[in-house]
Amino acid sequence: MTFWGALMRNGVYQSVSTTLFKSQRRQFWILASVPLFWIFFANLGPILEMFWIGFLDSYPPKVGHEPQFTLANWAAFFQDRVFIIPFFRTLAFSFIFTAITLLITYPVAYFLAKHVSRKNQLLFLLLLLIPFWVGEIVRTYAIMILLGNNGAVNLALKSLGLIDRPIPFMYTGFSLGVGIIYLTALYMLLPLYSALEKLPDNYLEAAADLGAGAWTRFRRITLPLSREGIASGCTLVFLISTGYYATPVLLGGPRSTVFAETIAGFFHVAGDQWPMGAAFSSIMLIATLGVTGLFLKLMGRDGKGMMR
Amino acid sequence: MTRNTRILMSVIYWAFIVYLFVPLALMVTMGFKDSKFIGFPIRSWTLDWYATVIQDTEVLSVFGYSMTIAIATTILSLIIGTWVAVFLGPNQFRGKAIIFALACLPAVIPGIISAIALRIFARLIDIEPGMFAIILGHTVHNVPFVALVVMARLSTQPKSHIEAARDLGADSIVAFFRVTLPYLKPALIGAGIFCMLLSFDDFVRAFFLGGYQPTLPVLIFAKLRSGMSPEINAISTIVLIMTAILGLWAERSMRRLNKGS
Repeated sequence: MTFWGALMRNGVYQSVSTTLFKSQRRQFWILASVPLFWIFFANLGPILEMFWIGFLDSYPPKVGHEPQFTLANWAAFFQDRVFIIPFFRTLAFSFIFTAITLLITYPVAYFLAKHVSRKNQLLFLLLLLIPFWVGEIVRTYAIMILLGNNGAVNLALKSLGLIDRPIPFMYTGFSLGVGIIYLTALYMLLPLYSALEKLPDNYLEAAADLGAGAWTRFRRITLPLSREGIASGCTLVFLISTGYYATPVLLGGPRSTVFAETIAGFFHVAGDQWPMGAAFSSIMLIATLGVTGLFLKLMGRDGKGMMR
Repeated sequence: MTRNTRILMSVIYWAFIVYLFVPLALMVTMGFKDSKFIGFPIRSWTLDWYATVIQDTEVLSVFGYSMTIAIATTILSLIIGTWVAVFLGPNQFRGKAIIFALACLPAVIPGIISAIALRIFARLIDIEPGMFAIILGHTVHNVPFVALVVMARLSTQPKSHIEAARDLGADSIVAFFRVTLPYLKPALIGAGIFCMLLSFDDFVRAFFLGGYQPTLPVLIFAKLRSGMSPEINAISTIVLIMTAILGLWAERSMRRLNKGS
């Protein structure tokens, strides 16, 4: 109280304040300064820089060698199956994982939004949220313990007498899928929940009164009205699941190498493989944003408010 | 909705909850196993692995390192994120949609690409891999989350609050600190704890932006690659408990936000 009062009465502060806020225009630009700087410097800058490095023949610059412009890094991608296969595998995996996540979480979100009483919804939601606060590595490790040869699933199957030898779940596309879905399901669940929660109950009641069966009501009312949630959820899960690195390293095997591992390889090898890694990252960024852009267009809305 | 589908859906919900909790529960259990080998069945139990962790100076120093990064990241993210929200929330101008999309960009870019881009960028602006690079990377990633939470809170603030302050003689700065900021407090607490969790748990950025000193997730990753051991379970369990406490605290302050404090 006294501090702010004193500040307002302080002569130096008063003159600074009046100069700063002399006009609406000036006030707008002062307010805009830090956000605009941050958005262009920290959000856009690294991406543009990455694209640019992809066109250089060597980086970081070596002594006595000016980096030359080249397209070789981009061309290399299309010339080697070692690169192309993980790339399309990553897109296919993410696509499949997204679809499965949608199928699993839709009933969960619907149950939560429509069948749990208002009073209990927060509690039920919290139960879903808690595991997702735990970090990527810890949760990946938990899946390793679940699916390992001496893991819980194999132990359970063995004690039930269903198998003699453990099933090798680990280091396959299956274990990777279980892990990725475990990590990303929340990004599907929350948008679906908030879309379904807004769906008025009386729409469904009206449809039922007019003789629509359960399947018709779902297809004609629930599904179209939760479209926005589906679009946001799928977009988020697809984008995020293509970006995991540690999880594929720990849960995947030689037959499920993803593109993130390919990219990381260029940065772990000492030397100047950076430009190729940068070009490959750019290709992946363009591809993933392209796929989601197309998807959102098909779903009939633009990218605006994706985060909401 | 027929009775059967209702029952089916509640079964799916509970099955999903089991899917979420069982792996974590197994991981916690394994931390008490009296054997070096990870795997079932567990025949005898011990607390020794926790004793090992508490006496492990490397783990403790890494813990402190991660905590320092998380706190610095949170402070920076809150300042920048709030500023972005105060700018983007109430102001209308041409190109706002694009600026908004760019502001959200780091939250949706695939993790590995974001990490690589920041690694190259850190080299460009001459930041050595290490603590400052990680703080920069985490702040870039966290600012959109803070901005979105604060914008949501700002949109519920009555215009009359600011007008009253201005009528009473406050200028923009004083009005912000005396009126808007207290109004934003629950959102800031929630967003801040969320930032700490994001930073503390992040692997991919810390892995590519870090120097020789690992953060906690990077250390766990390195230990895992050289073999599973119940010591990792003990570390993970401690992290898990801390995370759950922080998360619940964040949730509580966000809840108060919805009720309108």
